[in-house]
Amino acid sequence: MLDNILSILIFFPALAAVLGFIVNKESIRAYGVVVAIIEFSLALLLWFFFDNNVSGMQFMETIALVPTFGINYIVGVDGISLFIVILAAFFTMIGIASLGDTKDIKNMIITLLFLQMTMVGVFVALDAIVFYVFWELSLVPMLYIIGAWGGPLRIYASVKFFLYTFTGSLVMLVGMLFMAYFYYQATGQWSFAILDWYRLILPESFQLWLFVAFFFGFAIKVPMFPFHTWLPYAHGQAPTIGSVILAAILLKMGTYAFIRFSLPLFPDASTYFMFPIAILAIIMIIYTAMVAYAQKDIKQVVAYSSVSHMGVIILGTFALNVEGISGSIFLMIAHGVVSGALFFLVGVIYDRRHTKMMDQFGGLASVMPKFATIFGIMMMASVGLPLTINFVGEFLSLLGFYQQSHILTLLAGMAIIVGAIYMLSAYKKMFFGEVTIEENKNLPDVNKRELIALVPLVIITIWLGIYPKPLLGPINTSVEAVVQLMHEKSITEEAKQRIPNLDILINRTSAKEAN
Amino acid sequence: MELFLYTALFAPLVGSLFAALFGASPRTKIAGIVPSILLGVSLISSTVLLVLVLITGHTVHVEMMTWMATGDLYIPFGFIVDQVSVTMMMVVTLVSTVVHVYAIGYMNHDKGFNRFFAWLSAFVFSMMVLVMSDNFAGLFIGWEGVGLCSWGLIGFWYHKESATWAANEAFIMNRIADLGMLIGIFLIYWNTGTLQYDGAFAAMPALTPETLTWIGIFLFIGAMGKSAQFPLHTWLADAMEGPTPVSALIHAATMVTAGVYLVVRSNELYSLIPHVGLFIASLGAFVAIFAASMALVNRDIKRVIAYSTLSQLGYMFVAAGLGAYWVALFHLMAHAFFKALLFLGAGNVMHAMDSELDPFKMGGLGKTMKGTMIMMTLASVALAGIYPLAGFFSKDLILEVAMIEHHYIIYSVLLFTAGLTAFYSFRIVALIFHGEERYKLFGFHPHEAYKFMLVAMSPLLFLAVIAGSFKMTYFEMVTYILPATEYHVHNPAIYWIMTIGTQIFVIISIYYAYKIYMSRDIKVPDGTSKMEKSFAYKLLINQYYIPYFYEECFVKPYRELSTLCWTKIDQKIVDASVDGIAKAFYATGENTRAMQSGNLSTMLKWMVAGTVALLSLAVVFGLAARYSGEIKVILSGLGV
Amino acid sequence: MEIGLNHYLVLSTILFSIGLVGVMRRKNLLMLFFATEILLNSVNISFAAISHYYGDLTGQMFAFFVIAIAASEVAVGLGLLIVWHKKHNSIDLDTMSMMRG
Repeated sequence: MLDNILSILIFFPALAAVLGFIVNKESIRAYGVVVAIIEFSLALLLWFFFDNNVSGMQFMETIALVPTFGINYIVGVDGISLFIVILAAFFTMIGIASLGDTKDIKNMIITLLFLQMTMVGVFVALDAIVFYVFWELSLVPMLYIIGAWGGPLRIYASVKFFLYTFTGSLVMLVGMLFMAYFYYQATGQWSFAILDWYRLILPESFQLWLFVAFFFGFAIKVPMFPFHTWLPYAHGQAPTIGSVILAAILLKMGTYAFIRFSLPLFPDASTYFMFPIAILAIIMIIYTAMVAYAQKDIKQVVAYSSVSHMGVIILGTFALNVEGISGSIFLMIAHGVVSGALFFLVGVIYDRRHTKMMDQFGGLASVMPKFATIFGIMMMASVGLPLTINFVGEFLSLLGFYQQSHILTLLAGMAIIVGAIYMLSAYKKMFFGEVTIEENKNLPDVNKRELIALVPLVIITIWLGIYPKPLLGPINTSVEAVVQLMHEKSITEEAKQRIPNLDILINRTSAKEAN
Repeated sequence: MELFLYTALFAPLVGSLFAALFGASPRTKIAGIVPSILLGVSLISSTVLLVLVLITGHTVHVEMMTWMATGDLYIPFGFIVDQVSVTMMMVVTLVSTVVHVYAIGYMNHDKGFNRFFAWLSAFVFSMMVLVMSDNFAGLFIGWEGVGLCSWGLIGFWYHKESATWAANEAFIMNRIADLGMLIGIFLIYWNTGTLQYDGAFAAMPALTPETLTWIGIFLFIGAMGKSAQFPLHTWLADAMEGPTPVSALIHAATMVTAGVYLVVRSNELYSLIPHVGLFIASLGAFVAIFAASMALVNRDIKRVIAYSTLSQLGYMFVAAGLGAYWVALFHLMAHAFFKALLFLGAGNVMHAMDSELDPFKMGGLGKTMKGTMIMMTLASVALAGIYPLAGFFSKDLILEVAMIEHHYIIYSVLLFTAGLTAFYSFRIVALIFHGEERYKLFGFHPHEAYKFMLVAMSPLLFLAVIAGSFKMTYFEMVTYILPATEYHVHNPAIYWIMTIGTQIFVIISIYYAYKIYMSRDIKVPDGTSKMEKSFAYKLLINQYYIPYFYEECFVKPYRELSTLCWTKIDQKIVDASVDGIAKAFYATGENTRAMQSGNLSTMLKWMVAGTVALLSLAVVFGLAARYSGEIKVILSGLGV
Repeated sequence: MEIGLNHYLVLSTILFSIGLVGVMRRKNLLMLFFATEILLNSVNISFAAISHYYGDLTGQMFAFFVIAIAASEVAVGLGLLIVWHKKHNSIDLDTMSMMRG
C-alpha cells in the first residue's frame, strides 16, 4: 500500500465523493467526517514512513499517459510538499467536522472532498501537465463553494476568482509547453517531468521569459500585489469553510510553485528578478497592511492580512538561501494554520450575529471570554509573537533575506509593526470597551463543534512555535538540495554569488548529460 | 544546580497556567495565592543560585532543547545563570513576589482577579526568559513576551477606552523598537554566524568598526523602546492606566530596565564602540532631565512616579554608555527596590482615595495612613539619594562616573536632575501626606491598606534602606564578567566637596518642596493661577506637546493614508483596472453583436469589407516584402 | 489590337465589381442570386483566360467545376426561395433576420 500511498491520498477522497451521492442526507456529515479522518490518517502515515534524511522525492509513482509527448502521471513528495499535504488533509478534516448548519450540506461535503483531491494532487504532482490539471481543477470546487454558498455578491466574486486565476494559469501553461519544447530541442525527447527539467540548463534570456510566464500564473494565485484584488472579494463572499481552505491551502499553491518551479528551473532569472520581486513583496507587506487597517469588516481585515503575510513568504523564497526558503515554507504552514483559524473565528461570530462589521461589536471580551482568548492567541500568532508558529517562519524568512539586502529587509520588517497596528486595533474594536449593542449582551460563547476546529489549531500554533524541529528538519534537508541545485545550475556570476554553495552532493545525473 | 535553574524559570509559568485555569470562573483567592507561593519558590531557587554564584564563582549553563535549526542557523533554548543574570533574577523574583502578595490585597475586589494573576505570572516568566537566556533569540522571546504581558496588563480593565488605547500604544511603540532589535540580531547572525552570547561576542573584535557600530545602534534602538527612551517614551506615562501593582512590577522595576540589561549584557560589544556609548550616555542624560522636568508639574501621582522612572532609566543609560556597566546594573537593582515601593505606596493611596490620582485633592493623609507615609517617604529619600539609603550609593556613583570620565556637561545635567528628582518626589509626598486635609472637600473617606499588604511591602523597604551596603560584595561578584573599573575621585578634597555638595543641594530641594507644598494655601488648581498660565507650565503639563505631535503627525496621517490606500488606490486604481480589462471584453462583445443583425445583406457587406481589408493587407505586405531593401535604406536614412 | 490576358482580367474585374455591388445593394433574394452568378462567372472568365495563357487545362476544368457547383447551388437556393415565398409571401432580404444575435 505504501507504494501507492500518494495515489490513494489523491483519489480516495474523489472516490468517496462520488459514492457520497448515494449516501442519504442524514448520515452525510458522519460519512464526510469519516472519509476526512481516514484521509488525514493516511497523510500521517505518509509522514510516519517519510525518511527525513532523504532530500529527494519519496513514494514516487509513474504511470505513462501520453508517452509520445512525455506526459506521465508522476507523483512524489519531499520535505517541501509533505507538510502542505498533511495540512490540506487536516484542514479538510476539521473543516467538515466543524461545519455548521449549512443548506445543501450533502453537496457541500462532496464538493469539499473533490477539492481535497485537487489540493493533494497539486502538491504531489511531479509532471507539469498533471500539475496543471490539478491546479486548474482546484478552481472548480472553489467556484462552486463561493458561488453556491456565498454572500450577496457571490456570483461576481466567484467569476472574478475563476477568470482571474484562470487567465494567469494560461500564461503559465504556455510557459510549460515551451519548456517541454525546449527540452525536446535539447535532448530529442519530449518530457514534462519536473525532475527531468531540473537537469536542464537554460540560457539566461530563455530563463527570463519563462520565469515571467510562470510568474503570472503563480503571482495571481499567491496573490501578489497588484494582482491581489480578487482575494478580498472571494474571502468576503465565501462561506467560512471556503475562506478557511482558500487561505490555508489554495494560496499556498502559488508560493509552493515558486519553490518547485521557478527557483530550481530558472536560478539566474530568480536572481535577476530578486529585487523587483522583493519590492513587490514589500509593497504587499506594507500597503496591504495599511489597507487592512482601513477596513470596517473583520473578515476583510483577515483577508488583507493574508496578502500581507504572503509578502513575507515571497520575500523568504527569494532570499535564495536555506534560511530564507526554509522559513518561507514553514511560514506557509504557519500562515495556513493561523489565517485558517482566524477565518474560523470570524465564522463563529458571523454565525451568531450575521454581520462582520466591527462597529457592530465591542466589549465581546466580557460576553464571550473563551472566544476572546482564542482570538487573542491567534491574533498574537498572526502578529508574529515568538513561541507562536508564525514567528519561526517570519524570523527565518527575514533573516534569510537580510543576507541579500539590508535596507529592503528593514522595510519588510515593518511587517511586525504594521501587522500589530491593524490586528490590535481590530481586536480593540471587537473585544474591548463596553458592550453597547443590545444583541451582543447575550451571545453564547464558542460551542463544542467550534472547539473541535479551534482547539487543535491553538495547540498546533503553540506547539510548533516552541518546537518547530519536526517540520524544519525535513524541510531543511530538501531545501538544501534545492539551493545546491540552483547554485550548480546557475550560469551568471551574480547568481553564483547570491546563491550559496553548500557543498553537498545531490543524487542526480549530471547536468551536462541532459544538454 | 540545573534543578534550581529550571525551578526558578518555570515556577512562574506553572503559576500563570494555574491561574489561567480559573480564568473564566469567578474570583477565587487560590488563583492568587498559588502563583504567589510558586513565585516564592522561584525566589528561593534564585537565591540558592545567587549564593552558589557568589561563593564559587561558577556559572550554570544549560541547553534545554533545540528551538530553530536550519541551514547554518542553530538556536537552542539555552539558559545561563552568571553574575549578571543572577542579579537580574534576584531583582525580578523578589519584586514580583512582593507585588504578587500585595496584589492579592489590592485586586481583592476586582472581578478579573484570576485573570490578573495569570497575566502577572506570565510576565514574570517572560522576564526570566529574557534575563536567563544565553542567546539573542531567547532574549527576543522574553523581550516580546514581556511586551505581550505588558499589553494584557495595561489594558487589564479593557472596558476603559483609555486603558486599551494605552495598551495598544505601548505594544506598537515597542514593536517599532523591536524591529531595530531584530535587525541587530540579523546583523549579528550574518556577521558572526551565531546568536549565542559567548560565540557572538568572541567573534566581534574581528569585525569592522562600521558593522559593530550598526549592530550597537540597532540593538540600542530595541533597548530604547523597552526602556522608553526619547523619542519612544510616551507609552510609559500612558501605561499607568494599568493596575498599580503592574506599574510597580513592570513599568518601574523590571520590564523597563530590560533595555539597560541588554546594554550591560552586550558590554563586550559596546566596549568596542565607545562613540555609540557616548551617544547612549548623552541620550540618557537628556532623558533624565527631560523626564524630571515633566514630573515637576504633573497632577497624577502615578505619572509623576512614571516620569521619575524614566529619568532614572536615563541615569542608568549614562552609566552603561560610559562603560560603567556594573554601576548601571547596581542602580538598576537599587532603583527596582525603592521605585516598586514608591508605586505600591501610591497604590495604597489610590485605594484609600477611591482611585483618585490628583495629589492636590489629598493632603494630610499621613494621619490615617501612617505606614504608607513612612514607606513612601523613605522610598523618596532613597530616590533622592540621601546617605545612607540605597540611592546615595548607586546614583551618586553615576555622577562620579560622569565626573571621572570627564563628561562635565553630562555631570552637570545629572547633578541638576538630582535636585529636580528630590523636588518632585517630595512635592507629591508633601501634597499627599501633609498639609490641609483637602480630601474632605471631595467627600473621600481614606483608610489604611490591609496589614498584609504593608507587610508584603516591607522587604522592599528594608532593601531600599540597606541595599547600599551590598555594594562591595556585588562589585566583586559582577566584575567576574563585567569590566572592573573602580570609580573613585582620587583627590579627597574634590571627592568630599562633590559628595557633600550634592547632598546639600538635594536637601535644599527637599526643603523647598516641603515648604511650598505643605503650606495652607495649596488649592486644587483650577487653571486660573499665574503659574498655570505660564508657557513653561503649559509646555510641561502637555509633555512638551510630544503626544499631540505624534497624534497629528503619525497616527492621523497613517489612518488617513490607510483609508486612502483602500478607497482610492485599491478600489479605484488596482481593482478598477482589473475590472476595466474584464469590462473591455464585455463591451467589445456588447458592441459587436450589432454586426450579427441576421440580415443577409448586412452580413454580406461585412464580408466584403473583410475581404477588402485582407486583400489590402496582402498587397501592403507584398509590396513591403518586394521593396524591403529600399525601405531599409529609407529608414536608415531617417536615422531609425 | 490583339486581345490579351489583361483584357480578360479587366473584364473579369469589372464583372466582379458589378457582382459585388449587386451583392451589397440588392434587397431582393432573386437579384442576389443573379449577382452571385455574376461573381462566379467573373471568376470563371479569369480562370479560363489564365488557363489559356499558361496552356494548362486545370483552370478550365476548375471553371467547369464552378459552373456545376453554381448550378446546384442555384437549384437548392431557388428551392428554398420558393418555400420562403410561399410561407412569407415576400423575398425581401430585410424580412429574413432569424439569425439575429
